[in-house]
Amino acid sequence: MNIFPRIVFVLLGLFIVLNWGLIMAGIIRKIIARLGMRRGIKVFQPYINLIKNYSIRSQLSHGVMFYLGPVFRLSGGVGIFLFMPLIYGSDYWSNFSFTGDLILITYFMFFGMLGMALGAGEGGHPYSAIGISRGLAQFTAIEVPMTLAILSIAIQYQTLSISEIVAAQQGGIQNWTMVTNPLATIAAMLSFLGAMGHSPFNVVMAPQENPVGPPTEYHGTFLGVLQTNRAILHVIEAVLYMNLFFGGASNWGVLIIKTFLIYFWSVFVGMVFPRFRVDQSIPWFLKIPLVIGIAAIVVFII
Amino acid sequence: MVNPIYIIAVLLGTAFLLGLFRKKGFEFGMALGMLAIAFAAVISVHWFIHLYSGTEGGLNIYTAGSKPPFSINLFMGVEESFFMSAINILGLLGFIYLFRAFREQGLKSSVLFLVLIMGMNVLIMSRDIFNLFVFLEIVSIALAGLIYLKRGKESAAAGFKYLIAIGVISAMLLIGISFFYLFAGTLNIDDYLQSNTLPVKGISVAIFLMLIAILLELKPFPANGWALDVYEAAHPGISAMISSGTATASIFLLYKLLPLSSLDWLPYLTVIGAVTFVGSNLLGIVQKNSNRLLGYSSIGQIGLMIAIIGLAPRLGDHFNFIFVSIFISHFLAKAGLFWISGIIMRSNIREWSVLRRNRLSLFMFGLFILMLIGFPPFPSFYGKWQLVMDLAQHKSFVWIAVILAGSFIEGIYLFRWFGYAMKEQDDEEKKIIFQWEKLIPPIVFSVLALGASYYTNNLSLLGPTLNLIPIYFILALFVLDFLPAFVKNSLVIAGMIIYSVLLYPSIADDTLRLIFGGIFMVGGVLTLFAGYSEKGKREGFFPFAVMMYAGLIGLIQAENLFQFFFSWEIMTLGSYILIIRGKKSMKHALNYMLFSLGGAYLIFIGFALSHIGQVTFDLQTLSSTILPGWTYTLIAIGFLTKTAAIGLHIWLPGAHAEAESDVSPMVSGILLKAGVFGLVLLFLLMGAEQAEQKNLLYILGWLGAITALGGNLMAVFQEDAKRLLAYSSVGNLGYILFALAFVTHVGWMTALTYSVNHFLFKTLLFLAIGGVVMRVKTHNMYEMGGLIKQMPLSFIAVLIGIITLAGIPPLAGYGGKWLFYNAVLSKGWYFQGMFIFFAGTIAFLYCFKLIYSVFLGQPKDKFRQVKEAPVWYLIPQIILIIGIMVFSARPDLLLKPVGTMLSQSNYFPTDPLNWENVTASTDLGYWSGYKIMLVIGVMFIILLSWLLLMSRKAQKIKQFNIVYAGERPFKPETTHFSHNMFSHFYKALGFLSIPVVSAFWNGLNSVTHSMAENTRKIYSGNGQTYIVHIMLYIIIIYMLMF
Repeated sequence: MNIFPRIVFVLLGLFIVLNWGLIMAGIIRKIIARLGMRRGIKVFQPYINLIKNYSIRSQLSHGVMFYLGPVFRLSGGVGIFLFMPLIYGSDYWSNFSFTGDLILITYFMFFGMLGMALGAGEGGHPYSAIGISRGLAQFTAIEVPMTLAILSIAIQYQTLSISEIVAAQQGGIQNWTMVTNPLATIAAMLSFLGAMGHSPFNVVMAPQENPVGPPTEYHGTFLGVLQTNRAILHVIEAVLYMNLFFGGASNWGVLIIKTFLIYFWSVFVGMVFPRFRVDQSIPWFLKIPLVIGIAAIVVFII
Repeated sequence: MVNPIYIIAVLLGTAFLLGLFRKKGFEFGMALGMLAIAFAAVISVHWFIHLYSGTEGGLNIYTAGSKPPFSINLFMGVEESFFMSAINILGLLGFIYLFRAFREQGLKSSVLFLVLIMGMNVLIMSRDIFNLFVFLEIVSIALAGLIYLKRGKESAAAGFKYLIAIGVISAMLLIGISFFYLFAGTLNIDDYLQSNTLPVKGISVAIFLMLIAILLELKPFPANGWALDVYEAAHPGISAMISSGTATASIFLLYKLLPLSSLDWLPYLTVIGAVTFVGSNLLGIVQKNSNRLLGYSSIGQIGLMIAIIGLAPRLGDHFNFIFVSIFISHFLAKAGLFWISGIIMRSNIREWSVLRRNRLSLFMFGLFILMLIGFPPFPSFYGKWQLVMDLAQHKSFVWIAVILAGSFIEGIYLFRWFGYAMKEQDDEEKKIIFQWEKLIPPIVFSVLALGASYYTNNLSLLGPTLNLIPIYFILALFVLDFLPAFVKNSLVIAGMIIYSVLLYPSIADDTLRLIFGGIFMVGGVLTLFAGYSEKGKREGFFPFAVMMYAGLIGLIQAENLFQFFFSWEIMTLGSYILIIRGKKSMKHALNYMLFSLGGAYLIFIGFALSHIGQVTFDLQTLSSTILPGWTYTLIAIGFLTKTAAIGLHIWLPGAHAEAESDVSPMVSGILLKAGVFGLVLLFLLMGAEQAEQKNLLYILGWLGAITALGGNLMAVFQEDAKRLLAYSSVGNLGYILFALAFVTHVGWMTALTYSVNHFLFKTLLFLAIGGVVMRVKTHNMYEMGGLIKQMPLSFIAVLIGIITLAGIPPLAGYGGKWLFYNAVLSKGWYFQGMFIFFAGTIAFLYCFKLIYSVFLGQPKDKFRQVKEAPVWYLIPQIILIIGIMVFSARPDLLLKPVGTMLSQSNYFPTDPLNWENVTASTDLGYWSGYKIMLVIGVMFIILLSWLLLMSRKAQKIKQFNIVYAGERPFKPETTHFSHNMFSHFYKALGFLSIPVVSAFWNGLNSVTHSMAENTRKIYSGNGQTYIVHIMLYIIIIYMLMF
């Protein structure tokens, strides 16, 4: 496909993902509220927040890196979107996934995190730095079962290309990684809990002790950019798990259902379990999820 | 030719004549004495030249014109003339050195000195055993008198103990001689040797007594307490004479009398020598008194020479070369060191820091120390090389181990001492005068040392294959050290560029050498640029910087094992001196040197093992070694000390962190690659197919993985920015080791890519942080903060550096990570790989801490006025950033040639990487550096423009103006969240960073020291105890032999 039609489809896809992300956030928050016996926000409240933030007139900046932080963050989210094939078998919705494989996506996640960390760092607020240090520390442990799961499916499918992994799962639920490689799926879904930042792994943002963590100093347009990113990122990370473990999606409808269910898994767990401290969550990931991840590889070696 | 008998006549005559002089004629008398010794020296050197070149034959001299037994028989041969020349030159310089001491004591003492010299000459020449005894007595008495030259209780006691000990020894000798005459009927050595007397037990015992007496004169460990007290108490000028003079005569005596015995003394000599060498050096490590320390070292070196005599049959034709090269190093260095000791008059080795007040004596001190330990280009280096190679040929592995262990222990105290001289506090209050007549002798010996080095190089087997141009360049830089720093810096940069250009054609076809040569030379020039910011002369920096780079490039050029080892040692030496220049580097430089020395010896043994049964020393011999397991393991461990694999890493953090700002990038970004290059060469040559090597590689793989995790984990908990980077280097080298151990195509590609990347980003980071440290004058990150405003360029450099380090796309580091996954998956080392990937995420923690704590967060008031780092630091950083960008966008520029090279080697015939323009793909995945860069770049710019549009009216506010829950933050220091940033991480995983390795090495260190401390107690200082030692020693050796 030529580059211009591709760009048009990419932008269209981004638009859909962003909107789905905002709606999903609203739905989830509604569900959480109802479970907590509250009335909750409107489903479209995320849209309202976004518009409000983009239109706030007073804007404060602490410096160049502070300014670039949200740009890095959004680039991180959009970048993962760009490198991710969305719909199986459709060249239109495969974005720029031909430039790099699964490894590219795993490492590009850090791009946004690093930028955000630096931007928030220049904000000069200790809460930002505390949140970042917690987030990074926790992330090292979250990555361990995830990496094992990735290695496991790479051994299973003998490829690192996401499109090929999705292709290998076609033909019914019995071919999904979830069924063919349950251990890797469990390890990855446990690490997904950490990656999504819901309880019990939301000490990074910890609203009570550490008001909102890294974005403490961000507001107005900057916060709007961060919210935009969050909407995209939540969907696209769910898409990644969908592609790797749950057979991918052959159309947008399937994509929406599957991403919702995957994302809801982390919300569901978060509703039930209280928050971990960092020094609790790290050992947690390095115990059961790690063992499951190792088992996921061992089954292929022996 | 002048008959050597005149040496005796003139010396003796002058000695008698001087007795007639009164105080008034002191100068004239001294001149006369000097002339006499000079005459002796000229005659002996003249004889040596003629005998050595073969224009003269040996000369037998019979006194009084009659044959033995009625006359005394002297013999002047090539060996005799050599040792006499040495002694007479030493005597001449020693005489000059003692000028003031003689003035205080009167001419009588100089008479003793002349007698001493004369006696030693006769000891060497005489072929008559009784005559030997007589002159041994003369020498002893003269020496005892000279020990009293220094007034005081200690020297009196030492002289007395000396007399007692010598008395007992002489008694043994005399008894031996009497019985020898009884059985042999002659006292002439040559007569006896021709007479074929039956070897009855009686004569064996007689000869035993004679030889053991001579041996005891050589002060074997542990029957040498008396000698140590003498070394300690005597005037250093006299100690020099004992150590280099009488010991020379005695060892020649032993050599001369050895053929008399029908028993095989050689194995015993080997053991006695080796025990002395190791034991004496071991006790040296707890010694604080400089003269006594020199005594231990002296005894140790003599032990080594005795051992070499014992090992003579295994050394064959090389015996003379080995013995003389070790002898000459000891002879020149020990006299030189004693003389320097007498100049500065400091008995505690810590106080030798006064040497820094006189650069020349510091230089000479360093030169003599290196000569003793056997660093190139000094003679002992060549001698030890030949010795170990020959011993390996005879499979004498135990002796190799013992000799190198002794050398290593000697290195411990000598380098510690050198460290004190370089770095210990110097008490400026105490004045010191560097007297010119005392400086002359060590200067002459230094020059002789360099000359001897040159000749040894030419005489040695492989020396002539060395490329000495860099060595001459280094010498020239020593001479030009008076010039201002920027002139020398330009000179060095120009020299390196010219050398690189000349070198290029020879390595252009060899991608491997091109890559490492590029890292060494380009890196060298870039890091030297930073040196332009130094003012003044920067004395003693440039010769050693060039020495390190010369060593590095020598490794690239090396065609045989000898050249490789020579370059390795040169590099180690240069880098050691560079490291010790740092303010707090004393301890760390010593650690570095000891690990390097140990590692070098392991490589050395490995080379020797690979040479067994081979004729050439070609690098290829490594691939046909008959002991592959040992050879490769030893060499690999040797290289691992340089790459700082875990367990051998404890030297690195301190050494890299405390070095000067522009030295850190040299030793971290560049020097570490020497070990990598060594490993690559080793793996290339060893052939990975055999099962044994597979085990080794498997272990190395795990070691690399654990090193990566350990290094990165330690880096997270550092508060010192340079230490953080240093630990990060440990971790990064772990990655490289891990990937190298794969010995697969893609594994090696990963390792080489990573080596280049590590060079780029670590040099960049160390330069950037070095520039910051120069401005803020602290290494502690929590003291900095918010420096982005003052140092934006340094910030960008660090940012690029950490993005590359962390492997975040789109920069070059990502290529390394992508290759890593492919390599791990294709090799199947998943769990080791897991360690590596875990280490990779941990790297984010310290990357963030580094950039955040230094450049972001709250700026401190005291640093609000600091300026951007010096421009000379920024220039190389910009070049390195360009390099990173080029490799990020076009990784094929590096990877394609590497792939081609690896495919061409017989090792990895198939290239798993396919290239389609700039997109690389393997069976598993694909990666297009260029397109990723493009996509991310365009996206970033679009999003940035969008934000700029949306928030164009943003108001700039100060760092301190933050939302703080209705309060105002107290002060920047308490608001900057940095110290102990990852305390939660420490709570969770800190147990992995408990320094077990340091604890192990510290434990080993304290065990060695307490062992030495306890053994030392046998030297009670009591003369009677010493006699008991001597007697027991004789009895034990007797029991063993008969």
